[in-house]
This record gives sequence, structure tokens and C-alpha cells, in this order.
Amino acid sequence: MLSFTLAAPCARRPRTGTVRLRGVIEKTPAAMATTSRGVVPHLSRDQYNRAHIPWVHIPFESFLENNPPVPTLQPGPFPLHTFLGFDPDAHILSLSLRDPADGRETPANGAQYVAASTSRGVRRVTVADWRGHVHACKPDIVVAMPDIPWTNPPFSQKRTTKSIERTVSWLAHLLAPDPPLNILVHMAGGVNERARRAFAQSLVEPLDGLEAAAVKPLKCLDDGIIGYTFDLVPLRREIDVEDADKVSALLQSSLEPLPPTKLRVVISVVSPHQILRLIRDVGIDLFDVKWAQDAANVGVSLDFVFPVPQDDSQQGRDLGHNLYRSHYAHDFASLSTAACTCNACAPVVIKNAISHSQLDAHIASAPSGYTRAYIHHLLHTHEMGAHALLVLHNLAVVDKFFDGIRAVLARGDDFTAHVAAFAAQYDESLAIVNEARTMWKEVDVARGKGRIARERD
Amino acid sequence: MAKFEVLAKCHTTRARVSRLTLSHGITPLPTFMPVATQAAIKGLTAQQMESLGVTLILNNTYHLNLRPGVQILGEAGGAHKFQGWHKNLLTDSGGFQLVSLSKFTKITEQGALFESPFTGEPTMLTPEESMSIQHAIGGDIIMQLDDVVSSMTPDRARVEEAMERSVRWLDRCITYHNNSGKQTTQNLFAIVQGGLDSELRDRCLTQMIERKNDVAGFAIGGLSGGEEKDVFWRIVKQCAERLPDDRPRYCMGIGFAEDLLVCVALGVDMADCVFPTRTARFGVALTHRGPVNLRLAKYAYDFEPIDPDCPCPTCSAGTSRAMLYHVITRETAAAHAVTMHNIVFQARVMGGARDAILNGTFPDYLRTFFANYFADFGYPQWCVNALRSVGVDLLEGDSKIKVNKGTGAKWE
Repeated sequence: MLSFTLAAPCARRPRTGTVRLRGVIEKTPAAMATTSRGVVPHLSRDQYNRAHIPWVHIPFESFLENNPPVPTLQPGPFPLHTFLGFDPDAHILSLSLRDPADGRETPANGAQYVAASTSRGVRRVTVADWRGHVHACKPDIVVAMPDIPWTNPPFSQKRTTKSIERTVSWLAHLLAPDPPLNILVHMAGGVNERARRAFAQSLVEPLDGLEAAAVKPLKCLDDGIIGYTFDLVPLRREIDVEDADKVSALLQSSLEPLPPTKLRVVISVVSPHQILRLIRDVGIDLFDVKWAQDAANVGVSLDFVFPVPQDDSQQGRDLGHNLYRSHYAHDFASLSTAACTCNACAPVVIKNAISHSQLDAHIASAPSGYTRAYIHHLLHTHEMGAHALLVLHNLAVVDKFFDGIRAVLARGDDFTAHVAAFAAQYDESLAIVNEARTMWKEVDVARGKGRIARERD
Repeated sequence: MAKFEVLAKCHTTRARVSRLTLSHGITPLPTFMPVATQAAIKGLTAQQMESLGVTLILNNTYHLNLRPGVQILGEAGGAHKFQGWHKNLLTDSGGFQLVSLSKFTKITEQGALFESPFTGEPTMLTPEESMSIQHAIGGDIIMQLDDVVSSMTPDRARVEEAMERSVRWLDRCITYHNNSGKQTTQNLFAIVQGGLDSELRDRCLTQMIERKNDVAGFAIGGLSGGEEKDVFWRIVKQCAERLPDDRPRYCMGIGFAEDLLVCVALGVDMADCVFPTRTARFGVALTHRGPVNLRLAKYAYDFEPIDPDCPCPTCSAGTSRAMLYHVITRETAAAHAVTMHNIVFQARVMGGARDAILNGTFPDYLRTFFANYFADFGYPQWCVNALRSVGVDLLEGDSKIKVNKGTGAKWE
């Protein structure tokens, strides 16, 4: 089973801790990589193994395109790891039914099922289905199936109540009986603080009667779970999540009734600024870094550090480089100003190459780091290698960012002051990513799939 | 100048094993060269390519001249440094793409006149200009500018003109190259033209072989344009037979495994094609039992790797056909995975040929390959014919083998 220990047992926020599972040790606060169809976008297995983000989150719904879902039939002790190509000794895999980043409208959930979205249409998944899939795939961690309404907001009080009741009841199903799972629970209640508190309260209420018998020997639902997930995408549909105080208040209302010892995960943050605030104000332990992966997707190499070096204060600088910009064509610097050890900036020496005949004698070349000019070229020629290199780089920048956070917390520095300095140093609006996205679209339209057909018209 | 040493010859066919030493290391031949059109094997890094045991790749001059352009390549210190590839590199002349990609290219004696894709202005690619661009790129092997006509051109006079002009352009390339100071690090290859006409090919061969001392190798060009395979192999055989023993022979645009092995048996040392990398992106994995189309539903629950004996990163990590089915054509990482596999497949076919020639077992190697690859499907007649011409009878001792007319290429 997974263990999570806090460095200081009573610390509510900000806090550091350690996740241990098998041989994998993850110090928190930490980053979690996200996947699409079970793949960290743009990274082949050999490349992902050179990135240093051990925790990977897998949305299951794309596998519902086949019935039974293919990974549920994978043989071996670690079916999900094996199927997707992650090393059980190096990677922690968490599994949720739906993609928590997908905020598109979906048909209403029912009393017994969630409507999941696949490329072949919507699939209804009952809690029994979910239980079956989870026990067949054996992820390290499972997010209990929540009832998050993906129909059009706002939601009535009745709908919110239903959401809470279903989420609790579906969690209870997953808890019972053996074998035990490492379960994370989505914090239900939407944008209503009272509803969120009520949901959390129901997790710690002592169970009795049939309910208690079903989850024996647990005294309450909370005893059977390892932590809580906070999904920002559903909140974003109803409120402005850039309103930091509002978000903190909502998250804290969920945490109020709960013990402080469990893992707190936030899904779908949009910036490092937001991460820092949620660590500072709510004591969050784990964040997905889809925003950094998405930046790579549109041609941005991230270039920021935490804490901000004292001799290097420059107000409102960009978090990275939009490598589509024309001046990078001549820029042979490495991807970030800050030294980087990723497999793009400092490629590994290939000590062993495949030998194809008795004549083959591999002599390893001394690798050189990829330059901004090269990535600029790859981006403008619509070469997918650009994104592979950028994902490697951005994950490394993010990994170092979390190293910095943990170091500041471990030293007992004034975290709040460092957060303020970071906010002053770097532009939070991510203007650079938006600019890159526009240029990425232009190149995609000009050179992407279907270009020949378009040109013929 | 390149060092080219023939190490062994097949006792039956015209196949040979050799070692080609260039400025960026040794490449054992016969070899297949993956194509990195725009200074990248699509999706892969130079380190990944190196790990696959590849020592020679190809860049396209036409594309690199458009982007990033010679100025930036110069600033970078050449295409090797620009793309982080520290092994051998070959560049084509840029002429082929002028003809295949541009509708308005006009060939004159001076060079190829085309519409600049940037400004729309008429632009001239001369043999000297092609050399100059290839010098800026810095490939270890550079190709002469040739006058390319489709192998299907019915106009013999045009084919003849193109052949004669290619010889004249070779002379201009040689002059420019030998005066450039680059001839110590970059090696010029001539390209034999003459279409499908054996008399024209012969005349071209005679003239180009006369220039042997000024070129490091010879390519056989103007093929793989949809011509009859039985004509194709005869032209390759004719060229390979006449080309000097002490120069590498490069058959341009060849990528199917059976084509590679036939060409090797006819005496070819090098080949290139976008086929294995392009087909990978469309979901086709190459194996010794034939191509596997990973988009077919029959692979949805297939938990076996593409080829359990394959040493590529994809197969050795146990990536199943089912997983690839799930992601192919949807995730770029799936294209990377199959691309790596296909590049390794090509390298294994050629590496196996090298070993077999060294060990004196190349005819058996051919028989085994065809038995595995085509057994259920039938052997291509043209391969049977081509290999018979060099003393290997694929059908010997087995009267039940099916034989297919036409291209005979196997597909799934």
C-alpha cells in the first residue's frame, strides 16, 4: 500500500511530505504528468524513462472504445504498467475514469452510471464496471468514480445534493470488500462552500448498520482512502478560478472537517503562480503539470526558476520562450537561460547502440544540446520532434521548480516572500503561451495534415 | 576523401561487404539510409537514431535550403551540429524535389529554373549552386545535380538529353567541388541516368566511369518511379555490373526489404527511401513475416510485441500491438515507436546481409528471407528472375511455392 507521511505531522500549509510505494519515493509538493490515450504526449517510452516525473495520471475513458477495455485483459502482475510501458519500480500510476482536464459538455450522469466520453461516442459506466476495470488493471492509485455534472451550469441545489450522495455511495462501493485499493476521492460540492463541507463531513462520519458492515473494519469512509483530489475544470465552468481567494476558500471548506494527514491533489492548475498559492494557502501536495506539457505542445520552452535568484530580478518577464518567434532562428543558446539537465539540453551519451552485424562497432558521439534555433526550425517545418524535445525540457523545468519549492520549505525560509518575488518576476497571464498557440495554429493550418488537399482547392 | 574497402564478396551473387570511412565515422555497407528530410527523422532525436545503430542518414538539400537556409546552417557550423547528429550524413542535390514538388520547374542547360516558394520569383538552381548549398550543409556525401526525368517518360529524346546533360553537369560539379577546398571532407557522388533504356545507360556509364578519379562513389538514379520491376532490376544489374569495384554504389529511392536484398545481390551497397519511416506514421510495422498494419481491429487485443525477437526500443520494452493499435495515428509517440522499429527492421535486413556475405551464406540468407516474408503470399516473379540472374534460384527444391506477377509487394 501507498504511504504518505508529512514532514511535520500537524502542518496544514504549506507542507512537505513523502509518498512511498514499492521502491518509488516521491517528495512532496510534487508534479504529476498527464497522459492522452495512455501516453505522455510526444514521448516514446525510452524518452519518458529519461524524464524525472515518477507519478503519471491515466484517464481510462479512451479504453472504453473496446469492450472489454483492452488493458483489463493484459496479463501479468502490473497490467496497467505493462500495457502502457511504465516501470513499476520507477512509476506510480493513478487512474481516473474520465479525463479530468476535459471540460466539454457530456450527457447527464445517472443514478447508477457516469457518462464517459470516447472517440466512438459516450459510454455509460456503472460503479460495478469501474470496480471491475480497476481490479483488472491494478493501477497504483484509483480515483473513485465521482458524479461531476458535465451538463450546462449552473446547477440546482438538488443536483449538487445528488452529486454528493452519488459520489459518497460510489466511493463506498469501491471500498468494499478486499483487496484494498489506494483510493483518492474527488471533493464534491461544486462551487458551494456549504455543500463541499457537507460532502467532506460525510466522509468522516462514523458508519453504522449495513454501511458499516460493507466496509468493515473501516469506521468511516475516510479511513479507507489515501487522499483527496480537487478538480479545477468543473469549478472553472462556474467561477473565475483565477480568483485565487475564492478557489482557496472552496478548497479549504472541503478540508475543514478532514484530517490533515492525507494527500491533497489539485488537477488542472494553469500556472506555476497558481501552484505556489495553493501550496501556500491550502497546503496542496501534488499537482498535474498539463499546463507545462501544453506549453510544449504549442512551441514554448519554459524558462523560470523558484526561488527567484536575488541578483536577477526583472519584473514581469515571460515564463518561457515562444520559439516560433523569428529571432530564435539565429539563437543557438540552449532552451532555457537557467541550466537544464533534460535530455534535450544535455542529451545522454549513447553508450550502447544496437549492433546489426559483426562489422558494427559503436563509437559513442559526444552529444550536444539542442538549440532554440533548431527547435524554431522544427516548429516552422511542422516536425513533431520539436514537441518531443520541448516536453522533455518543460517537464525538467517543472521538476526543478518543485525541487526549489521543497528546498525553500525545508529550509524554513519565508515562503510567502518567495511567492511574492516569483509573482513579481514572472508574467502570470501566460501571454507568451497564448501568442505561441496562435503561431502554432498558423503553421498547423499551413503545413499540417490535409495541406495538399487544401492547396488543390 | 572517403576510404572504401571491400571486405568480402558473395561467392554466388554480386553482393559484397565493405567499409566506408567518412569524416564522421565508419559505415559498414551494404546499408540502408533513413531519410531526415528537414534535418530530423520525423519525431526522433539524433541520440535515438544513434541508439538504433544507424551511422548514415540523409538530409534533403531542397528542403534545408528553404528552411533553415544556408545562412543559418553556416551560423550553426553545418547541418551536423544544427541537428545534433555526429555520425555520417548524405545530402541529395535538390534536383529531384524541384521536379517532384514544383509544377513550374524548367530545365535549361544552365540549370533548373523554378519558382521560389518564398517570393514566387524565378530562381535558378545550377550545378555550382547545388554544390555550394551542399557545402554549406556539410554532408559527408554530396550528390551531383542531375537532370531528372521520370522513369515513365516515353520521350526517348528527352531521356537522352537528360542523360547527356547529367554528364555535363557532373563535370561542372566536379570542377566546382575540386576548387572548393571541401573535397577533403565531403565526397561527391555521380548519378547514372538514362532512364529504362539500356543503351542510354551504357553511354552514361561509360562517360561517368571515365570521371571515376574525381568522384567518391556512383549512384543509380532515375528509377523507382513506377516502372516495371522486371525492367528496374535489369537496369540496376546493368549499372552495378559496369560500375567500378572500388567505389560504393548507391541505388536511390529503394526501401522495400525485397528490393533492398535484390539490389544487394546485384551489387548495390547503399539505398535510401522514406518508405519505412512514412509507413510507420501510417501505422504499418515491418517484420520478417511481412508488414503488420497496426490499424486493423484484429490487433486490438494482441498483447504480443510487433516482433518478439526485435532489438528496437519499442519491441524490447514489450510494447504490444494492442497498445500501438490504441494510439497509432492519434499520438505522435506511437509514430515514434513504430518509426524506431521500422528503422531497426531495415538495419537488421541489411546487417543480416552483411553477416551472411561475410560468412559465405548470402544465398541461404536470401532464401530464408523470402521464405519467411512471402511464404503465405507468394514470391514476386521479378525477384525470382533477378536473383536467378545472379545464380540464386529461390524456387529450387520446392515446387509448391506460389509466384506473383506485378510488383509482388506484400501489404496488409
